[in-house]
Amino acid sequence: MTATMNSPAGEAGLTQPKIEFDRVTKVYRTDSGDQVVALAETSLTVTEGEFICIVGPSGCGKSTLMQMLAGFHHPTTGRVLVDGVPVTKPDRNRGVVFQQANLYPWLTTRQNVELGPRLSGVGRVERRQCAEYYLDMVGLAKFADRKPYELSGGMQQRAQIARVLANDPKVILMDEPFGALDALTRERMQVELLQIWRERRKTVMFITHDVEEAIFLGSRVLVMTARPGRVLMDLPVHLADGVPGPELRSQANFINLRDQVTDAIYRAQDGATK
Amino acid sequence: MSATETQTTTVPDTGTQPAGTGPATAPENTWLTPGRLRHWGVNAAVFAGVLLVWWGITATGLIQPLFLPSPGSVLQAFADSSSCRPIAEGSARIVCGEQGYFLWEHLLASLQRIGMGVAGGVLIGVLLGFAMALIPTFGRLSEPYLNFLRSLPPLGYIGLLIVWFGIGDTSKVWLLFLAAFPPIAMATIDGVRGIRADRLQAVQSLGASHIQVMRHVVLPASLPSILSGVRIATGFAWTTVVAAELNNGIPGIGGLAYLSGTQLQTPLTIACIIIVGLAAITLDFGIKWISQLLVPWQGKA
Repeated sequence: MTATMNSPAGEAGLTQPKIEFDRVTKVYRTDSGDQVVALAETSLTVTEGEFICIVGPSGCGKSTLMQMLAGFHHPTTGRVLVDGVPVTKPDRNRGVVFQQANLYPWLTTRQNVELGPRLSGVGRVERRQCAEYYLDMVGLAKFADRKPYELSGGMQQRAQIARVLANDPKVILMDEPFGALDALTRERMQVELLQIWRERRKTVMFITHDVEEAIFLGSRVLVMTARPGRVLMDLPVHLADGVPGPELRSQANFINLRDQVTDAIYRAQDGATK
Repeated sequence: MSATETQTTTVPDTGTQPAGTGPATAPENTWLTPGRLRHWGVNAAVFAGVLLVWWGITATGLIQPLFLPSPGSVLQAFADSSSCRPIAEGSARIVCGEQGYFLWEHLLASLQRIGMGVAGGVLIGVLLGFAMALIPTFGRLSEPYLNFLRSLPPLGYIGLLIVWFGIGDTSKVWLLFLAAFPPIAMATIDGVRGIRADRLQAVQSLGASHIQVMRHVVLPASLPSILSGVRIATGFAWTTVVAAELNNGIPGIGGLAYLSGTQLQTPLTIACIIIVGLAAITLDFGIKWISQLLVPWQGKA
């Protein structure tokens, strides 16, 4: 209704991937001068509208992958492309949901959600409507005038998601956004997120260390391993085609996929430690 | 924010309950609680005790009044310096205040100098601090000079400032400015450098330009640090005001304190010291209050 919704933009670029990692590596230099390979050479393409989940243990380079796509860090070698254009810096078309809610305490919850439209010059009335719409979507309409620090952790995280959605990015990057939430809140947020993805048909890259979460959410699951970080497994998932609910988790299909992924991670870790 | 969110407010349709929002509860009337009354009672008792000890020491004559005047004579100095009186018993000539000015005029003159010095310090200190924090090369090259200036005792270079700017008010305001701006610049640098990377990244990912990042994140995020720098600078300006007013410092509360000392009018010196202390505390309280208005999120987020 309010924000400019997705236009059917994909048509021209059916042959062109939405996101492309082209032989990307990332090497960090630690304070003591050692070089650490955070990400071994990785190539990866993501099609528009995919919900891609990256799962793996800490230190496998999954956050590195996301931060390069966001434009926060640059690859050591290789290129990251979005719509065929190399990523050089953060951009409003790539919205980022952080692990910590990261709201600005000098703004009210509503002002936080309005911030994206405000930065791009959307008028006062229109951006307020936009904020109301997304605050309502995440169930925070009654808390719009609270300061972020007056909200609970789960509410803060929902406000952050509303802030990103209100800016209508084409690609949404999420770095373990539900990691700090309790199990119940987390499940509800997962369902909400899937609904939003279905309605808006965004391209989502979602990072988690939770295998079940990855399979539940993703239309495609990437499994990564550590030292050096690399993609171990690239698994299409078609569970989420129906309306997903918690009951999905007990389906044989789901359990089968979960065990497959978990096994792969364990095997890789055993291999790495030997 | 802690992650322990257990029972509340996770689904939109349960969002009606006002619970589970932790620190949002407004404070009740906090003025006349028994705890407050006891607190003020204890404060008053301590103050009375200090006065009593002071009075007792002077009343016994253990210490000569020149070295430690009695509370009564200090009170008389307050009265004399705030009123007009015959120059001597039975004389027709009337003098007003001390050195031609009432005590409050001396205080006002010093406050004006401090106000101008600190205002200049805020302006230049904040600008310089931002420049030093945001332009790394400039920051690296200029930081030693800032540290050098910061460590100089104001008394050391007041003579130079008088040579440069004359004996009038200009050199005094310059001295107070030079005392005030380094702590503000330092606090600004710390504030900007201490901004969490993800705070900047979040607004950049929302599409902010460089100027918008500055306005919407860098400035408000460094405000708490800047304000504490202003507090420190104002305190430092008070300690500098006597140095600034050593020469030709009338009217001026610091100048009067110094001059009365050289003229052995110790009751007046002590009266001036009390005024300086009270004014400094009041000003500090005011800045703290303004800080709480401007930065209500401090310590909460």
